[in-house]
Amino acid sequence: MIDKRLFKLPKAKIMLVMLAGLTVLQAFAILGQGIFLARAIVGSWHRHPFSSIAYNVLIFFLMYLLRQAIAWFQKWYMNHYAHHTTNLLRSQLLDKIYHGGIALSSRVGTGNLVAMLLDGMDEVSNYLSLIFPKIIALAIIPWILLVYIFTLNALSGWILLLVFPLLILFMIILGTAAQARASKQYAGYVKLQNHFVDALRGLGTLKVLGLAKKYSQVVYKNSESYRKQTMKVLKVAILSTFTLDFFTTLSIAMIAMFLGIGLINGNLILYPSLIILILSPEYFLPIRDFGNDFHATLNGKNAMAQMFDVLSFETPTQEDKLPDFTWNQDSKLTVNDVSFAYSHENQDKFKVNKNAKMTGIAKQKQEDTKHYADELSHINLSLTGYQKVGIIGPTGAGKTTLMRMLGGFLSPNPKPDNFTINGTQLEQLDQKNWQKQFTYIPQEPFMFADTIKNNITFYKPDASDEEIRQAVHEAGLDNFISSLKKGLETPVGEHGRGISGGQKQRIALARAFLAKERKILFFDEPTAHLDIETEYELKKTMQPLMQDHLVLFATHRLHWLKDMDWCLVIEDGKIVEQGTPADLAKNGTQFRKLTQPLKEGAL
Amino acid sequence: MNDEKLTWKNDRWIKPYLAKYKWVLLLAIFLGIIMFFCGGALMFYAGYTIDKAATRPENIFMIYVPIVLMRAVGIGRPLFRYLERLVSHNWVLRVTSDLRRRLYNIVEENSSAVGSNYQTGSLLSLLTEDIGHLQNLYLRTIFPAIVGYLVGFFAVILLGLFSWPLAGVIFILLLVELFLVPLFSLLKQAAIRSKEKAEKASLYAEYTDQVLGAGDWQISGRQQAFHDQTRHTVTDLGKNQKKSGEFDWARDFFLEFIFGLMAVALLYFTNKSLTYNQEAANYVGAVVLALFPLSDAFIPVAQGTEEWHTYSDSVKRLNEMHPKKEVLSKQVSLNPADFDDLTVSNVGFTYPGEDQPIIKDFSLKLKKGQKAALVGPSGAGKSTILQLVLGDLAPQKGSVELNNIDVRMLQDERAKLFSVLNQEPFLFNTSIYENLKMANKKATADDMMAALEKVQLADFVKNLPDKLDTQVAEAGARFSGGQKQRLALARVLLQDAPIVLLDEPTVGLDPLTEQKLLKLVFNVLKDKTVIWITHHLQGMKYIDQVLFFKDGVVEMSGNPHELFKTNQHFHNLYLMDQGSL
Repeated sequence: MIDKRLFKLPKAKIMLVMLAGLTVLQAFAILGQGIFLARAIVGSWHRHPFSSIAYNVLIFFLMYLLRQAIAWFQKWYMNHYAHHTTNLLRSQLLDKIYHGGIALSSRVGTGNLVAMLLDGMDEVSNYLSLIFPKIIALAIIPWILLVYIFTLNALSGWILLLVFPLLILFMIILGTAAQARASKQYAGYVKLQNHFVDALRGLGTLKVLGLAKKYSQVVYKNSESYRKQTMKVLKVAILSTFTLDFFTTLSIAMIAMFLGIGLINGNLILYPSLIILILSPEYFLPIRDFGNDFHATLNGKNAMAQMFDVLSFETPTQEDKLPDFTWNQDSKLTVNDVSFAYSHENQDKFKVNKNAKMTGIAKQKQEDTKHYADELSHINLSLTGYQKVGIIGPTGAGKTTLMRMLGGFLSPNPKPDNFTINGTQLEQLDQKNWQKQFTYIPQEPFMFADTIKNNITFYKPDASDEEIRQAVHEAGLDNFISSLKKGLETPVGEHGRGISGGQKQRIALARAFLAKERKILFFDEPTAHLDIETEYELKKTMQPLMQDHLVLFATHRLHWLKDMDWCLVIEDGKIVEQGTPADLAKNGTQFRKLTQPLKEGAL
Repeated sequence: MNDEKLTWKNDRWIKPYLAKYKWVLLLAIFLGIIMFFCGGALMFYAGYTIDKAATRPENIFMIYVPIVLMRAVGIGRPLFRYLERLVSHNWVLRVTSDLRRRLYNIVEENSSAVGSNYQTGSLLSLLTEDIGHLQNLYLRTIFPAIVGYLVGFFAVILLGLFSWPLAGVIFILLLVELFLVPLFSLLKQAAIRSKEKAEKASLYAEYTDQVLGAGDWQISGRQQAFHDQTRHTVTDLGKNQKKSGEFDWARDFFLEFIFGLMAVALLYFTNKSLTYNQEAANYVGAVVLALFPLSDAFIPVAQGTEEWHTYSDSVKRLNEMHPKKEVLSKQVSLNPADFDDLTVSNVGFTYPGEDQPIIKDFSLKLKKGQKAALVGPSGAGKSTILQLVLGDLAPQKGSVELNNIDVRMLQDERAKLFSVLNQEPFLFNTSIYENLKMANKKATADDMMAALEKVQLADFVKNLPDKLDTQVAEAGARFSGGQKQRLALARVLLQDAPIVLLDEPTVGLDPLTEQKLLKLVFNVLKDKTVIWITHHLQGMKYIDQVLFFKDGVVEMSGNPHELFKTNQHFHNLYLMDQGSL
């Protein structure tokens, strides 16, 4: 029921001790409140004037306030604790993301990671600040009250004591029944639940088919059957609350009856009886609170478990073994029999689960379309100086995985001599001094929600205005920038909204032009989704940039091979052919298989 | 979007539904009130039983009636609570069905058959969440408030039977508890909550930057800057959350304080006015103890009221959605078999609220069976052209006509005239059979297999466990992008409309798959009139007319074969596309 990892959180012990202390204090406040309330009532019952019970009323009121004040302080304290803990978790998560970014987000999903950092943290915070006080209250308050009740009247004590396990037993039985019922209908249930989103997303298609208007009735009908299904499950599910209530009220009624009989027989007197009656609901309160909040904290519990899972995700610890250097004409990188496999984490367990509410649909969609090849095997490669290396292969063959591994974003299967750079042997390439050698330009370069200028100077925040102007010019952005009212200071929207694909590429190129000391360029399908004219224009900009650089260029677009002096053909995670493009065009069977069918001939 | 202020008067998403199922709602409220009274009555009778018994009546029958009543309300309280929850959930789900239908209708009126305008993706899930928020608003804010007020009202009336001064004091305390504190906390928290929301939004953007841009951050080597990026916002948000938390906790304490005062008032007034004889004094404990179970009715009112800030954006967003008031001209009929030509003449279009026209001047004439390709950068307005051709949008200038009939007059029968193959084919979460059936009600299983045969999916479907009856979701894992697109193409074939619009159907496929799909598409659509949006020149050989569209106008157009011979620029582009330049 409770994640054991919770107790390993920093300062958990101190917090628990503190909480236990507060709760004991609270239990005594409840006792005091009950005792003095009983005294006041007994005073009135004896028809004493108010002045003689005023003292009791005052103490009752103070005890009552003390109890509430402790609750107040408890909330403040737990919030403080939860805040601290989530801050810690957050910074640990950020470290994970910084080092394991691409590997992590392709496993967990970017949407899920962001949700985890944002809403996930709130849920965890809520969870932490609720779950501990409830557990501690349940562990302390009823039992202190019960001991006191036993000293007053054993029969009442026994009734309360025996009802407790009975109550829990029934809750478990009913909970299981509800679960069984829910899971029996689960598939149909989920389908109905998603139907609405399905209908909204498929609206375009419905319109094309001329069914859009009529479909409104289908939406309604499905929603109604969803309601009926839900009600069926609810009928069982909320029976557990019913049981809680039922046992509580029934034991109070029973105790009152036995007390009444005892009083009539003269075995009891009013004052202790009244205390017992007042304390009985208090005895049941912690378990009721726990039951009520249990569902509210489920999200937080799941979010917390996911976070622990992400934190246990293995990322390369950056060991900076590589001495500082600058890639030049004579530099050499050897890749020696390198293999790579994603650790097979199950991505499903990271799906944001909002208690079967209809969210995350859009997020899922964006994740579904990306499939990365999982493996690379026995890669041998040697790169020197300012070579231009094209990488081709079918979708999913591992081109991107290879590029990412060479960029140090993914760590290959461990082996001390995986890579050699200028004579230094390295296990993996997550090396500060390697990563500052290159610029990585993917199909859709990521635009930060910042100004265009800050996007351009991302690798070189201290660039001078003159350098920036030069880079803007070289990247062919002059016209675009001057067409903007705020010029370079124009903010880029989230995800680069309002900036076309071609302009994004140019901004990424400007980054590369600006970072002149980075002598390596990684291109991963930079023009695949651009229209032919934009591609044509962009090529003219890219060609000069590639001079005096080591270039790694993964692409489907064959015309780029004209600019390459070496080409790798990748299939199923292996390099199946390599050579100069001209050679491969003549002799490469795989190369020809990939490229020949695409030639449609002159028009 | 809209500056119209949200007020109770112009709300269209909460009010109507309170009225629509009012009997169920009233029943739920009634049950809620009865439940609290049972709770109070249990302690009332329990207190009375003990007090009465303490006077040592001669026999047990003197407390028999309160004991029976006590049992009755003891069972009544959980029972009514159970019923109340069932009825209120049932009610809110009924309302949800209505809300969904309504949202669907509005989105339907505002959306188009082509182009992935902002309606898809995030906005949709946002709207779906909004409906969820509305559910919570009903269940957690409106409903408890109504019940709390009514319980308070009846409590004051009942106390009035004992003592009017007592009823007066309790009334004043309840006024504070149920009205003044909720109102104060609603107003007081408004500013800080909206600050929190803004901070959360910017934090969302920052986190997205960090996660999606993680690779770039790593290359840049600026780990400290990476950490610092969100630190500021996180700290601010933390401060504000603490502030609003501190207010909430203090408010809760104050609510309990007021409640405690009610207990003190009860103790005082019962002592003053219920001690005139012993029988009356027996009621002191009863009245005082009956108060405590009612705290569950009173305390949540203020908490629920403040939750309004969580839901207000949803209510606002939904209220800002307006049904499109659009009157189509008189509809006429065109037999699909008679379709002869499609003429787009000098069309111009500007989106409402924009100052630049997205389409300045666009013309296209296609005879039956001819095919045109539209090439241009993303965002240039290619999808808008398709929307104009379909009649989803009306041009401000120029016309779109089929056989000289304005396309806007053919909207009733549009599904018979136009078919669309989208960028991302949408398959409904049902069987393959149902998905194909949607395209043509009259299609038999044989027709479907014939269509699947044409798109080369017949063997694939035959090998599925349930053949045509296989659920798309189950087959989904086995469907590649190309196969999904071919299934959608089978749907197009079954629909059998004379004009087919292709909206970049090969985006995201690798070149070999793309090539095969294009070959297939143009093979099976040989007799159809086609407008095809694409971004490069693969497949130009199937095309009669290519138009390069940029900055609102056609920059270059003609038959690709002729252009290749006569136009150097096109020649170069084509050779580059082929990999030979």
